[in-house]
Amino acid sequence: MINLVKNEMLKIVRKKRILVVAGIIAVLVALFTYSQFREIERRLERFGDVDWRTTLQQQIIDTQNRITSSGISDEWKSELQLRIQQQQYYLDNDVNPMEPGAPTFVRTFAEHSINLFLPLMVMVVAADMVSSERSAGTVKLLLTRPVKRWRVLMSKYITLILSVSVIVVLFGLLSYLISGLIFGYQGWTAPVITGFNVEGNELNTNTVQMIPQWQYLLMEFSLVWFVALIVGTITFMLSVLIRNTPAGMGVMLAALISGAILSSMVSSWESAKYLFMINLNLTGYLSGQAPPIEGMTLGFSLLVLTIWGIAALIVSFAVFIRQDIY
Amino acid sequence: MRKYSVQMTLIFSVLSFLLMMFGLGWTIQNQFFSNGAAEVIEKAKPEKEASKKDGKVVVALGDSLTRGTGDDSGKGYIGYLVDELEEKSKEKITLHNFGVKGYRSNQLLNQVKQSEIQRQIKNADYILITIGGNDLFQSGQAFVDMDEKKITQARESYLKNLQAVLVELRSLNDHAAIFHIGLYNPFIDLNDSEQTTKIVRDWNYETNKLLDQQKQAIYVPTFDLFQLSVNDYLYTDKFHPNAEGYRLIAERVASLITW
Amino acid sequence: MSDITLSVKGLRKTIGKKEIIKGLDFDLKRGEVFGFLGPNGAGKTTTIRMLVGLIKPSSGSIEIGGYNVRKNFTKAMSQMGCIVENPELYSYLTGWENLEHFARMLPEVDRAYMEYVVDLVRLNERIHDQVKTYSLGMRQRLGIAQALLGKPKVLILDEPTNGLDPMGIREMRNFIRYLAEEEGLTVLVSSHLLSEIQLMCDRVAIISKGAVIKVDYVENLLAMQERVIWQVEPRETAKDILSEVTSVVEGPDGALITPYIENAASSWNRLLVEKGVEVKEMNRKLPALEDLFLELTGGESID
Repeated sequence: MINLVKNEMLKIVRKKRILVVAGIIAVLVALFTYSQFREIERRLERFGDVDWRTTLQQQIIDTQNRITSSGISDEWKSELQLRIQQQQYYLDNDVNPMEPGAPTFVRTFAEHSINLFLPLMVMVVAADMVSSERSAGTVKLLLTRPVKRWRVLMSKYITLILSVSVIVVLFGLLSYLISGLIFGYQGWTAPVITGFNVEGNELNTNTVQMIPQWQYLLMEFSLVWFVALIVGTITFMLSVLIRNTPAGMGVMLAALISGAILSSMVSSWESAKYLFMINLNLTGYLSGQAPPIEGMTLGFSLLVLTIWGIAALIVSFAVFIRQDIY
Repeated sequence: MRKYSVQMTLIFSVLSFLLMMFGLGWTIQNQFFSNGAAEVIEKAKPEKEASKKDGKVVVALGDSLTRGTGDDSGKGYIGYLVDELEEKSKEKITLHNFGVKGYRSNQLLNQVKQSEIQRQIKNADYILITIGGNDLFQSGQAFVDMDEKKITQARESYLKNLQAVLVELRSLNDHAAIFHIGLYNPFIDLNDSEQTTKIVRDWNYETNKLLDQQKQAIYVPTFDLFQLSVNDYLYTDKFHPNAEGYRLIAERVASLITW
Repeated sequence: MSDITLSVKGLRKTIGKKEIIKGLDFDLKRGEVFGFLGPNGAGKTTTIRMLVGLIKPSSGSIEIGGYNVRKNFTKAMSQMGCIVENPELYSYLTGWENLEHFARMLPEVDRAYMEYVVDLVRLNERIHDQVKTYSLGMRQRLGIAQALLGKPKVLILDEPTNGLDPMGIREMRNFIRYLAEEEGLTVLVSSHLLSEIQLMCDRVAIISKGAVIKVDYVENLLAMQERVIWQVEPRETAKDILSEVTSVVEGPDGALITPYIENAASSWNRLLVEKGVEVKEMNRKLPALEDLFLELTGGESID
């Protein structure tokens, strides 16, 4: 099996997939670093060198004013309400939610990438893992070796898991290294508050814990990794089912984007919470965002994603083993 | 390089995989099987640095007037005031605007009890307040019906709140001058202007009286500014001032602030 | 150990309601080159894909080296090397990396043997270049190298000369003969080109519309249709005389054509001479497989 995984890794490395992904991540990180840098500069210009409490207080006031504007949806309103309560909690506990430094940048960047950007990167690797062998015809050679079909597919899947791990870790490393050039590399031990419980419109702070940022990052990245893995698995299934790589990618892309859109507007469609793409924002549970649909919890989302992942795997193997190759 | 790239990628990926697996296991353990409170870390409280005093600090509290609703440039009277003061004094002025649209006196009272707001108030040289407008005009039917009894009720609770706010402010900061901007009557051009005017005047009178009991607390009337040509100075909602109206208020406050 | 390396019995494939392969039976022996001849769409490729395990037969059995392809897939596959249709290798890898890749899928292939195989297909100079820079002939050769890696008993080549230039075709032909004669491999070659099969194969199966029409040695097939062409004077008399003993057809240029039957032909000749007919020329003619094919399939078109 190790030999087979080596083969698959060889293909991914030679196709320069991981390099491409790393390149895209690097460019994006540079962009976001720059934009955040500008943002900070602008704030400096406007308010002078104020400490973070003042800024946070001002953000709270601004949000309060936004809530009172007419024409704002109820959902948005309650989300803003939650944000205020959370920011107030940070303020009351004298914890800076945006401790300057690369780790904080990595944290927020990962938070924003979990439901679209990273899944897309995973797709780059996963989408053609099987379908490219079919469209290039190499599958004929692959499947006429004295190796059972399920082992061939398993080696591909293991390679996918490994590649996803590489991508997620590279994502963390690159964003740390690049953003650190501007923000500095300190801030690993800065406290971060997690464990907010959202109950209706209220923020429950009973279960809150304050942990050092590196621990938070580890938790966050493991969740990011899990999401990437599930998205990868589903893409993998599509790659088995659909011979045409672009078509498979299109299907996955549509699902991901619709998930991103739906998340902000499905609160009244209860059963949508069983769709995998609604459950991608796992880090939201850590940072205490309101879930897209009431009643969703970290446990629930993990379960839904796991079930989708397992189902996708079963379908992949069942189809791949039986398929006639023409 | 080319030869070993596959092996290096493999090793790196296996390490990454192990790290992520460990992280996931730990996350699950942390999120589902431990009670958070136990793991609160000791946090070295950073010293709250005494804010450097270069220039003056203005803290603005209150409602939409402080926020500047109705002014297309978004400055509000606070914005124009700061502009004017900076020009007059050639000093740098730091402004903290904590105004929230729709705030009433009880909400303001809550706000001044928040730690960060208090911290800012302590450093303030001038404190500006606009409050009461929503207590009076937005109290629902009472004002529309001209229900004397209910209006009196609203005023009493407003005065009580304002009193508490002032006491709080003074206890935090005994040197800053407090300016309270009085109400004008946006409905002066409408029917019943006699009645509405009376209500607003009474309101202002009581406010003024309350402020007089505090030291360095100044009541700033605006009623007269809007008395004659109210529509020239009101925004299209016929309630908030427009840029011109705000400028008038700012000028009046500016003239009261001295160094 | 039996001499039969590949055995097919009652092989059928139905897709939907359509039966594509209608019960094939044939056996391949050690050291022979077996031709699989039929027009496009006759079912050659489907059959080959069933042989190598890419397509599941609807019924029937395939045994390679004594192992059933369905029941004992890995054992059966390790007896066999193949190229199905074009030799589609990983174009972004080098030739050597491709070989390493496939070697890793086999139980044990040492480096020396890999080098030997590369030598055999004469790719030593370009083996470390990316496959996308290869010509079709080189890819074809790399494909064969890949098929030989597992030291197979049976080599299955689907259209091995497809897209090669005349030079390449001849090389390939010699190479295949070499593998069968010197290395003792069984080689199954499919083609829609009659001339090729005729030159390369020991035995041939003619397949049309999903069924085997005939399996026999190439010589036998050709001999079966051997004929004699007579140039005689006077023609009418000769025709009368010959039609009494055998069937006669009038050929072009005023020739008469009769089947060739050993021993009989000379007696016919004597008969003609006795009756005063002048026999100017008497030719035994081996027909091309082409004629045979047309005859067998009832005029089905072939390239």
